[in-house]
Amino acid sequence: MAKQVDLIQGTLDLLILKAVSLGPLHGYGILLRIQQISQDRLEIQQGSLYPALYRLDHQGWIASEWGESENNRKAKYYRLTAAGRKQLQAETAKWNKMTEIIGGILETVPEEL
Amino acid sequence: MTLGARLGSWMRAMRDRSRMEGEMEQELRFHIESCARDLAKQGVPREEAIRRARIEFGGLEMHKEECRASLGLRIWDEFFGDLRYALRMMKQSPGFTLVAVLSLALGIGANTAIFTLAKAVLLETMAVPHPERLRLLTYAVKPEFNISGWGSWYRNDAGEMVGTPFSYRTFREMQQHQQAMEDLVGFKDVYKLTATIGGEAEALDGELVSGNFYSSLGARLIAGRAIAPADDMQAAPAVAVISDAYWARRFGRSTDALGKTIGVNRVPVTIVGVNAPEFHGAKANGTPELFLPISLQPQVIPDRQGSLLSRDNFWWVLMLGRLKPGVTDQVAQEALNASFRNAIRPAYPGKRDNDLPRLVVGAGRRGLDQMKGQYAKPIYVLMGAAGLVLLIACANLANLLLARASVRQREMSVRMAMGAGRLRVMRQVLTESLLLALLGGSAGLVLGIAGQNIIPDLFEASWRTSSIRGEFDWMVFTYTLGITLATGLLFGAAPAWRSTKADLNAGLKETGRMTSGSGRALLGKSLVVFQVALSVMLLAGAGLFLRTLVNLKSTALGFNPERILLFQLDPPRTRYAGKQRTALFQQIEERISTLGGVEAATASAEPLVADSMDNGCFRPADRAPRAGRQDMAYANSVGSRFFETLGMPILYGRGFTAHDNQTGPKVAVINQRLAKDFFPKTNALGKTITTCSGGTPASFEVVGVSADAKYDSIRNDVPPTIFMPYLQDDDAGSMTFEIKTAASTASVAAELRAAVRSVDKDLPLLEVRMQPQLIDATLSQERVFATLTGGFGMLALILAGIGIYGIMAYTVSRRTNEIGIRMALGAQARGVLAMVLKETSVLALIGVAAGIGAALGVTRLVASMLYDVKPDDPLTFVSAAGLLVIIALASALTPARRAAGVDPMQALRHE
Repeated sequence: MAKQVDLIQGTLDLLILKAVSLGPLHGYGILLRIQQISQDRLEIQQGSLYPALYRLDHQGWIASEWGESENNRKAKYYRLTAAGRKQLQAETAKWNKMTEIIGGILETVPEEL
Repeated sequence: MTLGARLGSWMRAMRDRSRMEGEMEQELRFHIESCARDLAKQGVPREEAIRRARIEFGGLEMHKEECRASLGLRIWDEFFGDLRYALRMMKQSPGFTLVAVLSLALGIGANTAIFTLAKAVLLETMAVPHPERLRLLTYAVKPEFNISGWGSWYRNDAGEMVGTPFSYRTFREMQQHQQAMEDLVGFKDVYKLTATIGGEAEALDGELVSGNFYSSLGARLIAGRAIAPADDMQAAPAVAVISDAYWARRFGRSTDALGKTIGVNRVPVTIVGVNAPEFHGAKANGTPELFLPISLQPQVIPDRQGSLLSRDNFWWVLMLGRLKPGVTDQVAQEALNASFRNAIRPAYPGKRDNDLPRLVVGAGRRGLDQMKGQYAKPIYVLMGAAGLVLLIACANLANLLLARASVRQREMSVRMAMGAGRLRVMRQVLTESLLLALLGGSAGLVLGIAGQNIIPDLFEASWRTSSIRGEFDWMVFTYTLGITLATGLLFGAAPAWRSTKADLNAGLKETGRMTSGSGRALLGKSLVVFQVALSVMLLAGAGLFLRTLVNLKSTALGFNPERILLFQLDPPRTRYAGKQRTALFQQIEERISTLGGVEAATASAEPLVADSMDNGCFRPADRAPRAGRQDMAYANSVGSRFFETLGMPILYGRGFTAHDNQTGPKVAVINQRLAKDFFPKTNALGKTITTCSGGTPASFEVVGVSADAKYDSIRNDVPPTIFMPYLQDDDAGSMTFEIKTAASTASVAAELRAAVRSVDKDLPLLEVRMQPQLIDATLSQERVFATLTGGFGMLALILAGIGIYGIMAYTVSRRTNEIGIRMALGAQARGVLAMVLKETSVLALIGVAAGIGAALGVTRLVASMLYDVKPDDPLTFVSAAGLLVIIALASALTPARRAAGVDPMQALRHE
């Protein structure tokens, strides 16, 4: 159980960083953007988005600021910080490497051994 | 990496918690509303949209909690929650809280005070850089090797004499011919220098130091300059550095003091500098106030036989040095020993190297450390006793908390049924214990600081300022915090662990009172047995120390100390030398005898029962020296009215008269013990005794035999003693005057001062005190022990009483049902009462037996501190045991009565 949660959590963090790297967004906006980019193929538990946002904010990778929403409501906007940009690059590189390795392993056929 | 960011965000959240909560609420609500609006746009009715948005979002409170955890707030929330709950629990049972905090405060306070003392006496290093590399040079030598000198020597376990003083020449030679140490400094503590400023004389302690003392040790000054090598020359102008305390007391810390000239034993000396407050010279726990170059010795403290600086076989200077970095003690010792042998060989021609002293590099981080030997053992014993008290308090609290835990069984079961983890429940119970411990610890710290000087003051004589300075600092604080936390964990561990062992089903179903668990009662009972055992140990120790004090106080002295006023004169040799001294003493003795309010006055070289004595070789003139045995006797030069003033009866012959002076024949009075020693079967009167200490022998005719009386200490047996009239001495050292006063001593003391001043206005009266006060002071250690261990014992008794009451009350309430059945079946109230008391007795007796066993092992260690009582004294042990059994039964009486008063009908219906 624990491992699976970790993995999802890690992934969610990466997705959030990516989403806000494209421009400041509020929490609901981040959710919409991820769903939009993934073409609704990812199921995200809405409430669990916020603990992840608070954690990233706590670590200094994203920063928050209150602003006006599209329909003139007060909303908390998140943007990527410099540290967050580095983190995003590092995480992306790690992810790519990981998928490459795992992919390689999974595509192995008997003859190649 | 992100530590800074995390800390910043956590601080922000902590600082403005309500704003953070408000913003979180607003942010999450915005999300749900936005989501609902989007749903509404797709045509879902508004009510339904909000409902679905909420469902999709998930548990709002749960996510909030997760957000708080993300910010690192959760653990604090829980902690504060626990704290609030703990405070509420404490408020609910103020009696329990009071007992807990008070017993901990006393236990921790005692430990803090004793640790402060231990730190000052055992740990505090000299206030100079790199004290860890400081070494004091000592040497060991066969006892046959004759060293004359000034200082202290003792016999080590190997039978060698060990000493610290060297001759001045040895110091200078070694200083120049050694490479192991950075440098060697020489010093000597001197006492009771007469310092005169503006016609007012005061007695001060001082330290003679070599010219490189300050520069080499690196001691700090706060004003002026240090003593420099150029000051340590024969023709150099006389200078002095004064202590901060003296500077404050005498000059109000004014810089005018620098350049002032004071008379030191009548030698004019210019003050050039002031030591930093933390620097107290090279002797541990010493309080020298005047630091003088060692070259001033011949002027300031002249010796009868000439300058000590040029006497090559007179050993008196102490040597201290800092090891060069990287040099081991072993290497240094070898190098210094070679240098030492080369330095002393010329003074001891014909001695083989094997017979010469062997240099030993000794500990020096505290400088010359005589305190350690004197106080180390008493302090360890006190620390042990204080530790026992704290342990008893811990056992007591653990027991009370266990009983309380059983009452809270239901609460814990509910907590765990609702999902609290074991660790979480344990943490909560531990928070409660630690809170109690911290409250007790804070109170204990206050008590400890307030009382830090009580123990040193008890040790010291009442007319002298304490030389042991207990100082509160971070080390004491850390120690107290450490024992506080350890205490909290110790008494909290068992209840915390117990609380998680709850059987949920049983805990929820049954009433708290009825929970099963003989294990818990067993644990509680073991704790009580443990507590009783420790209390017996403490009480037995207290009893032994109390008996020691009583025995010492009731020991026959052989003289009457009542209304005897003492003061000492030590006229500077620069003014009074040789026969001038005895003449001065006689003049003063006569002058004060005539004062009103004085019944009789006399003087003696050594005061009685003051831990000081003079001894030498004496022998009956008609007897040859006995092989392998020295004829030793304690000697005292006394005034003509010594025996009548002190009420020491003359059994045969006569005492001294004014005619026993320089012109008359030399006479002596000996005590019974010496008469029996020297003249076993004959009449001692008229016999002759000669000295045999070397030099020209002197002969004395025995004119009287006095009754035996204590000499140097109450603890020691009456020594064979010989008294001589000081008027027949060629020279005298300091003299103590004994004055039998008629009534009020305060007015007499003022008259005495005036009388002495009329003879010489520059003579300060030293150590003015009453003889009983002096005797009391020599018992200070015994009194400290009797007082402290007695106090600890009382505390232990009270705690044992509380502990036994607690466990029996708990047992009875747990067994109400069973007792009801017994009574319903015909048991009498008296039988039930007896049953409870019997159970208590069993507990108490097991504890007492264990305690006596342990005490027998431990009290042997303090045997040397006892007087006239064996470490296994049956009376003491039986009393301690009896006292505890009585306290146990008295404490169990209330619960026993309650048990006897159980109404069977009610108890059974309770089920």
